[in-house]
Amino acid sequence: MSLQATTQRGAPRWWEGDLVHDFIRSPLALVAAASTLLIVAAAMGAGLIAPYDSNDPASANVIDARLPPGSSGMTGNYYLLGTDPQGRDMLSAILFGTRMSLMVGASSVLLAALIGIVLGLVCGYFRGLLDAVIMRIADVQLSFPAILIALLIDGITRTVVDRATHDRLAIPVLVVAIAASFWVQYARTVRGLVLVERGKEYVLAAMVTGVSPLRIIASHIRPNVMGSVLVIATINLALAILTEATLSFVGVGVPPTQPSLGSLVRIGNEFLFSGDWWISIGPGAMLVALCLSVNLLADWLRDALNPRLSNG
Amino acid sequence: MATFVLQRLSQALFVLLAAALASFVLLRYVGDPVNNMVGQAASLADREAMRHALGLDQPVILQFAQLLRDVATGDLGVSYRFGIPVSKLLMERLPATLELSVCAMLIATLLGVPLGVWTALHRHSVVSHIVLAASLIGVALPTFLIGIILILVFSVWLGWLPSFGRGTTVALGHSWTTGLLTVSGLKALVLPSLTLGLFQMTLIMRLVRAEMLEVLRTDYIKFARARGLPEATINYDHALRNTLIPVITVIGLQFGNIFAFSIVVETVFQWPGLGLLVIQSIQFADVPLLASYLVLIAMGFALINLAVDLLYVAIDPRVRADTMLARTAS
Amino acid sequence: MADPVLSVRNLRIEIATRRGTLLAVDDASFEIAEGEVLGVVGESGAGKSITGGAIIGLLEPPLRHVGGEIRLAGRRIDDLAAEPMRLLRGRHIGAVFQDPLTSLNPLMTVGRQLMQTMSAHLDLSPREARTRAARLLAEVGLPAAQERLDSYPHELSGGMRQRVVLALAFCCEPQLIIADEPTTALDVSVQAQVIEVLRRMCRERGTAVMLITHDMGVIAEIADRIAVMYGGRIVEIGRAEAILHAPAHPYTRGLMACIPSMHRRYRDLPQIEGSMPRLDAIPSGCAFHPRCPSRLPRCDRERPVLAPAGATQSACWLTAACDQMQDIVAAAGHA
Repeated sequence: MSLQATTQRGAPRWWEGDLVHDFIRSPLALVAAASTLLIVAAAMGAGLIAPYDSNDPASANVIDARLPPGSSGMTGNYYLLGTDPQGRDMLSAILFGTRMSLMVGASSVLLAALIGIVLGLVCGYFRGLLDAVIMRIADVQLSFPAILIALLIDGITRTVVDRATHDRLAIPVLVVAIAASFWVQYARTVRGLVLVERGKEYVLAAMVTGVSPLRIIASHIRPNVMGSVLVIATINLALAILTEATLSFVGVGVPPTQPSLGSLVRIGNEFLFSGDWWISIGPGAMLVALCLSVNLLADWLRDALNPRLSNG
Repeated sequence: MATFVLQRLSQALFVLLAAALASFVLLRYVGDPVNNMVGQAASLADREAMRHALGLDQPVILQFAQLLRDVATGDLGVSYRFGIPVSKLLMERLPATLELSVCAMLIATLLGVPLGVWTALHRHSVVSHIVLAASLIGVALPTFLIGIILILVFSVWLGWLPSFGRGTTVALGHSWTTGLLTVSGLKALVLPSLTLGLFQMTLIMRLVRAEMLEVLRTDYIKFARARGLPEATINYDHALRNTLIPVITVIGLQFGNIFAFSIVVETVFQWPGLGLLVIQSIQFADVPLLASYLVLIAMGFALINLAVDLLYVAIDPRVRADTMLARTAS
Repeated sequence: MADPVLSVRNLRIEIATRRGTLLAVDDASFEIAEGEVLGVVGESGAGKSITGGAIIGLLEPPLRHVGGEIRLAGRRIDDLAAEPMRLLRGRHIGAVFQDPLTSLNPLMTVGRQLMQTMSAHLDLSPREARTRAARLLAEVGLPAAQERLDSYPHELSGGMRQRVVLALAFCCEPQLIIADEPTTALDVSVQAQVIEVLRRMCRERGTAVMLITHDMGVIAEIADRIAVMYGGRIVEIGRAEAILHAPAHPYTRGLMACIPSMHRRYRDLPQIEGSMPRLDAIPSGCAFHPRCPSRLPRCDRERPVLAPAGATQSACWLTAACDQMQDIVAAAGHA
């Protein structure tokens, strides 16, 4: 980055320069990115590419129930990955389930990031009592595993509202529950970065000349923070997806009408002993593939952005 | 030293109080406690009587104090669903969960630490790379899926091990039942503890490896080499000791994670422990049970954190010095 | 005449980087006699520490020893296998590193680290080792040596820790000590004490010392001879008084002029223009020529070799004897 460019813009943009170069050079990153994109595209386009619409009850033919992968049913339909106990095509179910898992996972990461960033910025910039209280809560919360927090929030909500309301609110509550267990990491990192930036001279100068805090935060501090946040977010995404899957598997996640990968595995669990392994393993394998790709991508991103973060 | 302990204790107490408060709010304001106890058809007079019996006509602060007193004496209310005192239910299920968790922790530590050390010392070997790749997958595998795969292989296809329940248990004393003393009990323990421990094992292995690699790069290791100390001494006396100190504390904290994931594993294997109880209490809106569980785990975690903090002080001479310095300064 | 304790001839060390291989040490030759202190000075990056690392056999990739030989008391050591080299380290060659805070294992008592080192090389009973350790600690000037054996490094001050490091370096009575910036991380007031301990222990044992530093004050205190390094090469070498007061090489002259004197008044502090070149941009011919105030036309084409110049040996075309030296070297091939 030339000195001129840096001084012109105030802070170097993190996505310029070596990042793209590193990416193209690393075969693992390329494979991880490709598979992530593939899965995401397939899931989001489930409505278009799935052979059968999972949400349409008419597509489930009970006579074709529990067929192994690659078989053709009595109705003449071909089921690439077999069927579930209700005769639904596994491939379609998996695609729609992946979409649900991705949506919940991504939403909770976004929400956690939002809460965490805002709280981190506020704590780091204004300090004082607010900072002390919020960080204390964060410390206490960190000693509890994420899944427990998510479980408790979801569980408590379930006991507080009646069943019908809960089914309607299930997904937003789930997103909030998962986000609530992850915000701390963002808040702490952002707060740390803010504290560092705050001490820098150009920020002090801005403060002294009476620039409003909002502007200072937005234009000076935020760009430097984004890189770290991105790394945390990608690492978190796989974890959020896994947490949702676990909660759904246990029965306190998504409602049964809108299954995610976790609840699909749950359905298949009962049929393990009859030998119908594909009902759980199919969605399970997709879950692993998704999380593995995201994890690899996240690892690469963290390593690639790291030296830049310490310089920037 | 004493101030340090007191400080940590007060922190633990704070957490407990917070949990108790949350419990209280749940119990008091979720649904109608009176309704739950007397049912729909009760008369107004009966409701009033129940109200008085439950102490709901007292000021809120006094009610909270009553709750604290109850918790301290072990009276945790009566389960809506089972109709038995909650404390009895919890004690019934606790041994199962504890045995499972401890077994899993042992597996995770006894396999994870040596693997981590080995992959750090032989970082360029093929085996090392394979193990690391496997651990990457291990971190992406959700616990319940591991359980399902293990059931599939060892119960369904091979038929070697049972896939649900605890097997035959033996009662010890008043309240403890153990599965460790029977063959069927031990067999039933294998798959669940393996499932629970596998995830932690990959975590511990990666942690130990990273920590050891970090230590091997330090100046004091370089200086030890410059003094001509044998490689084995450097690796197992110097490096290992410095690696394990931070790792031990993490392992201690991981116990909390194991406890949390035991809920999942108990669901997969129908293991009759606390986890299964909690899931059922959520599904049936059994508030007293849920609230008590909240307080129980808060206590558990506070204790674990306290124990880990004390352990750290005991084994790291630098921290010992700091805490003593803090004491003389204050 | 006895073999010098250390003899380094035409040492070449390369670094493999993404941009190709660079020379970190280029054709360095020097000797250290018994009981002699050779100060190796130069700016950061001149190759001093790497030379020290090569002698002790701790060069790690991407550094690679590619040429020249190193002899300890006449015996060649640069081509030894790992295990024989390890036996030399600590026993015949001791080392002192820069940062006493990080040189000692924070989780082991000082006594344990001492006794462990001695047990690795010498045949001592635990009691003998302990007594000897206490004696060493007393010798380096630690008060209450016996109790100090059970202290942890963080319980000692910086100066005390560096004394422990010295004790560790001397504990097996080596013939040579490589001291890499031993005082740089210490307070000025403590530096003098530590140097004094080093000097005393060397004199008493007749240990040869290679003292690597960029602190001229320390060199002036303790060095018998001085080697000046620049860009991976030795540009001047000679007796300490000669180098300090009558240097021949323009770089050394510049260095000496840079040291402020209490007895002169300055308007501006003297400096050498420019900075030392990076390893991937070493100038052709004489590495110093772009910054040299006495530059000759040939200096950017032909590389000078060390030749006698008054009381020192200087690698500079200004030296009359340099041409002759070059002919001799060329005739002998690449010795």
